[in-house]
Amino acid sequence: MDFINVIITFWPKLLHGLGLTLLLTGLSAVLAGAISLPLAVFRTTAGPWAQFPMRLYISFMRGTPLLGQLFLIYYGSGQFRAELQSIGLWSFFRDPFNCAVLAFTLNSTAYQIEILRGGLMGVPAGQIEAARAIGMSKLQAYARVILPHTYRIAQPALGNEIILLMKGSAVASVITIFDLMGETKTVFAKTFDFSIYLWAALIYLAVTTLFVRGWRYLEKRLNPHLAGHAPAEAAKPAMGTR
Amino acid sequence: MNTTNGNTKTLIVEDIHKSFGPVEVLRGISLTAKEHDVISILGSSGSGKSTFLRCINLLEMPTSGRIHLHGDHIEIVKDSKGNSRPKSMRQVEHMRTKLGMVFQQFNLWTHMTVLENVMEGPVTVLKQPKNEVKDRAEAMLARVGLSERKNYYPSGLSGGQQQRVAIARALCMEPDVMLFDEPTSALDPELVGEVLQVMRKLAEEGRTMIVVTHEMSFARDVSSEVVFLHKGQIEEQGPPKTMFKDQNSDRFRQFLSKVR
Amino acid sequence: MLELFAFGDTGWGDELLKGFGVTVALAVVTLPIGILLGFLIAMASMSKNSTLHWFGIGYTTVFRGIPELLTLFTVYNGAALLLNRLAKFANPEAGFVELSPFVAGVVSLSLVFGAFSAEVLRGAFQALDKGQVEAGLAVGMTRIDVFRRVKLPQVWRFALPGLGNLWVNLIKDTALVSIISLDDLMRMTQVAVGFTKKPFTFFLAACLAYWAICALSEVVAARLETRANRGVRRA
Repeated sequence: MDFINVIITFWPKLLHGLGLTLLLTGLSAVLAGAISLPLAVFRTTAGPWAQFPMRLYISFMRGTPLLGQLFLIYYGSGQFRAELQSIGLWSFFRDPFNCAVLAFTLNSTAYQIEILRGGLMGVPAGQIEAARAIGMSKLQAYARVILPHTYRIAQPALGNEIILLMKGSAVASVITIFDLMGETKTVFAKTFDFSIYLWAALIYLAVTTLFVRGWRYLEKRLNPHLAGHAPAEAAKPAMGTR
Repeated sequence: MNTTNGNTKTLIVEDIHKSFGPVEVLRGISLTAKEHDVISILGSSGSGKSTFLRCINLLEMPTSGRIHLHGDHIEIVKDSKGNSRPKSMRQVEHMRTKLGMVFQQFNLWTHMTVLENVMEGPVTVLKQPKNEVKDRAEAMLARVGLSERKNYYPSGLSGGQQQRVAIARALCMEPDVMLFDEPTSALDPELVGEVLQVMRKLAEEGRTMIVVTHEMSFARDVSSEVVFLHKGQIEEQGPPKTMFKDQNSDRFRQFLSKVR
Repeated sequence: MLELFAFGDTGWGDELLKGFGVTVALAVVTLPIGILLGFLIAMASMSKNSTLHWFGIGYTTVFRGIPELLTLFTVYNGAALLLNRLAKFANPEAGFVELSPFVAGVVSLSLVFGAFSAEVLRGAFQALDKGQVEAGLAVGMTRIDVFRRVKLPQVWRFALPGLGNLWVNLIKDTALVSIISLDDLMRMTQVAVGFTKKPFTFFLAACLAYWAICALSEVVAARLETRANRGVRRA
C-alpha cells in the first residue's frame, strides 16, 4: 500500500478517531473551564492556609505525567471496586472513556486555574475601583468588569491550553480508547504501512492550525478595542507539553 | 576627492546619504575631523545627527558615501539586490577599532565586570596580551575616577558611573577618534556633570572627538567646531564663538531659543 | 502496606528503583541532545537564508503541533522499518532488527525537546540587548566575536526559566516511553500492579516519585536562575 491508498482505504477509521479525539478534548476543556472559574476566584481571594490544598492539587497535577494520572483513575479505581460498587459508581469507572474525561478534566482544571489567576491579577486595580465607585456590589463588579477583563487577558493562554490538552489526549489510546491515535495504531498494526502515521500527523496539525485560526478570530471579535494594539504581557501563550 | 593633508589621523567623511525606505534622513553630509578637533553636532530631534554619527562607524549602513581614516577607505557599494554594503567588512571592523564609540544608553556588557568590559576589546579584537591590557585598563579606569569599582558588575553602578566606564572602555582601544552619541541624555540631571567633566578633560588632552549633544555649554566652551544639522543637511558650521555670537541662520537661532 | 515496597524478593522496592533510574537516565541523556538540537533549529529559524529559516519554522510547527506519543510511535516503528530495510539491503540473510526502546525514546523525546527549546532559545536571543551587540561591533568585533563573547554568555540567562519548564515536561514525557515497553518507572509500576493487584497504591507511588523529581527540579532551576542573574539587576 502507498501513501494515497492507505488513506483511501482507512479514512473512515481515522475520521471516527478524530471525532473521539475532539469529543474527549472538548468535553474535558469545557468541564475544566466551568470548574476552574470559581476555584481561580478562590485562589486569588482566600488566605494562604485556605489555599494550601488547592496549591498542592495544582502542583501535583502539573508535576506528574498525564499518563500516570490516567492510570491512577482507570486502573486505580479497581482497588476500590467493592466500595465503588456499594455507592453505584463502579459502572462509571469501568468505562475507559469516562475515566479519560475525568483525568483530562482534573488535569486541565489545574492548568486553567493558574491561567485564570493570571488573568484575574492582570485586571487593572483602577477598573475595579471605578466599578466599586459607581456603587456596584462585589458580585456585580465581577460579572460586569472583572470577569470580562479576565477572560480577555486569559484567552490566548486558554487556547494554548486546549491545544496542549488535545495533544495530551492521545494517551487515551493506551487504555483502549480508539481516538485518532488509537485508530492510527490499529491501522499500522494491520498494514505495517508507515505512512498512516504521517496522515495522523497531518490531521493533528490541520486541527491545531484550524483551531488557532478560529481562536484568533474569536479573540479579535471579543476585543475590538485592542485592534492594532500589541497583546498584553499576560496574553503571550505559554508553552509546554503534557 | 582625497583631501588628506598628510596628517594620517584625520577622519574624512564624504557625502553620506541615508534613507529609511522612502524617507531620506541624511542628504549628503561631509565632515573632516583633524587631529585634536572637538566637533559638536547639534540639531533638533529628527535632524539626523545620531544617524549621522552611527553612519561614521557603520553601525548604521549609509545608502552611499565614503569614509577615510588612517589608511582605511570605506566605500559603500550596492550588492546585486540593491542593498547598500561596504566593499570590505574586514576594513570596516579594522576602522572601528580606531573609532571609540560612547552610546547614549552606555551599552556596557552586563555579564562582565567593569574591568572585563574595559579589557574586552583590546583582548578579543586586537589580540593584545592580557596582562598588558589589564594595566592599561586600570589606568583608564583611574582616569575616569572608577578604580575602586573595577570588580563591580555594571548593574551595581549609577548611570553616570556606567557612562564613565563606557568612556574608559572606548579609550582602552587607544582610538584615533572618539564618537559620543548623546552621552548625557539618558542620565539624571545630577549625574550629567561627572560625565561632562571627563569629556572636558579628554578634550583638554587633545583627543579628537565628535560629539552629538544637547549640552550647549559643552558645545560652546569645549568644542573647536560646531555643526548644526537640519533635515539631514549641514545648515551651519563654524567655530563656536562666531556660531553662537552671529547666529546667522534663522533655524539655528530658533533652535537655540528652544533649547534654553 | 509498606512491605509492598520492600527491597529484595518480598517487595517491589528494588524493581521500582531500577525503573526510576531508567526514567532519570532517559531524561538526562535526552537533555543535552535536545538542547543542542534546539540550538541548531533556533539558529536555522533566525537565519537570513530562507531555506534554513523555513526549515526551522516548519520543524518547530510540526513537532510542537503533534502529540508526543505520535512522535514516539513514528520514530519507534518508522525507524524499525527503515533499519530492517537497510539490514536487508546490506545482508539479505539478516534477521529482524529491533530498535531499542531506550534509543527510540531518546530520539523522539529529543526531537520534541528540540522543537520546544528552539522556541525558548529564539525568544531568548531576541530578548538580548541590541545596544550591547552594537557596543561589540563598535569596538571592531566580527559577527562571530559578538556571538561568542556577548550573545552566547547572556542568552542562557533569558532561556533558563523556559528551559526549566521544558525539563519538567521532559520528565513527565518520559512516562510515555513505557508504552513501547521500556522498563522505566511507569512500566515497572505496571508490572508490580500486575502481580500485587494494588493498582491505586502503586500508581500513586509512581506519581509521587515523578512529583518529587519535578519539585526538586523546580528548586534547582530557581537556584540556577539566581546564579545566572548574578550581577544583573534591573535598574
